[in-house]
Amino acid sequence: MSLARNTIMMIILLTIVWIGFILVTFILAYTLFPAIEYADGDSVLGLVRVFIGVTVLASWIYGWYKLTKIWFYRLMLRDRPLN
Amino acid sequence: MVFRLEMFIYILVFVIAFLSVMILTPFFIKLGRKINLVGVDIHKIDKPIIPKTGGLILIIGVFSSLGAYILLEELSLNILALISASFIAWTIGLIEDIRGEIDPRVKPILLLSSAIPILLLSSYSPRPELPFIGATRLTKIYPVLVLASFPIVCNAVNSIDVLNGSISFTSIAFFTAILIVSIIHQSEYPLIISTIMLATLTAFAIYNKYPSRIFAGNSGSLFIGAVMASTAIIGRMEVVAVIALLPHIMNEMYIIFSMRGLRSAKQYNSRPITIQDNLITASLDREAPITLVRMLSSKIKVREDNLVRSMSILSFYSAFLAVLTNILFMR
Repeated sequence: MSLARNTIMMIILLTIVWIGFILVTFILAYTLFPAIEYADGDSVLGLVRVFIGVTVLASWIYGWYKLTKIWFYRLMLRDRPLN
Repeated sequence: MVFRLEMFIYILVFVIAFLSVMILTPFFIKLGRKINLVGVDIHKIDKPIIPKTGGLILIIGVFSSLGAYILLEELSLNILALISASFIAWTIGLIEDIRGEIDPRVKPILLLSSAIPILLLSSYSPRPELPFIGATRLTKIYPVLVLASFPIVCNAVNSIDVLNGSISFTSIAFFTAILIVSIIHQSEYPLIISTIMLATLTAFAIYNKYPSRIFAGNSGSLFIGAVMASTAIIGRMEVVAVIALLPHIMNEMYIIFSMRGLRSAKQYNSRPITIQDNLITASLDREAPITLVRMLSSKIKVREDNLVRSMSILSFYSAFLAVLTNILFMR
């Protein structure tokens, strides 16, 4: 495996992460944020939307890290005995 | 006529920032050796001692250029907020350069203080522009995000400053994205800051590239991180900044997750890479932190300068994605 191939593997990973980000913002744009715009003064709804936003974002970050581990150990370091 | 005057100002601030760093850096290299503000270049066989006075030269380059801009235009609250925020982060970094590593659990708390000028001077809009929907209302949570952004971005930039020139080239990619989006939207504030940062970092890269004659030090990396965070918040380019910083955030997140929390790398037994005959290769230890350098050097032995080239390619690719997101998905 050459450095060029490793760089391309990382570019593919970055692209997947970017697509994930766009998907997350797309979902939030059509579910959570319209509710924000029309929910003046409702504190319960306010808490719910913050909770949903944080949960979706945290899930995306967790998924990102899990994907990276698979990417690195199963693809980039494939055939190498790990200590 | 107005366009010509503005162009003249942009060219002038670029030239001042570039020349001040180019001319003054050799002096600061000597100064670093004289006052023993130095670090070890651990990726070389002979472990050379390199001055880490880059933070001093970076702040001089940026502030002298900003000073000229203020004289020609005006001192806005936004510029004042950026100067104060980046100065606080720079000071924290300088303390770390002089006294040694700050406890990794305390450092993020200290870096929260960098956000205070932005909050006090109200140099932010709690309606960030998001893909698909445009500006959205985040009145209560946005100040919390402003606070959190400084430790995250400053540490992310700090954690990528591991190889000769890596901080310079990856930061140039970030500010290139900001510059392009500023031109598209004709946003004056991020345009002037990105122009100054590109001039400063390009001149600094000449001395910081492989083999480094000067390191940015913690003062330099935290300063750059604070300027990035301030530019994104004040210039309302949060989403562009997040995407342009994906390699930086990736690197920081992997380190924190792999080490199961905020811990000093020195306390950690497993190193992400091994070095043999000036060649870097990824560690095969499952306990070693996952880093960008480790991923890029998996299964190969590679020279430091080639690794930095790959890191720069990743950063410029992220900058491209950031601009693309702005063009395709932002209203």
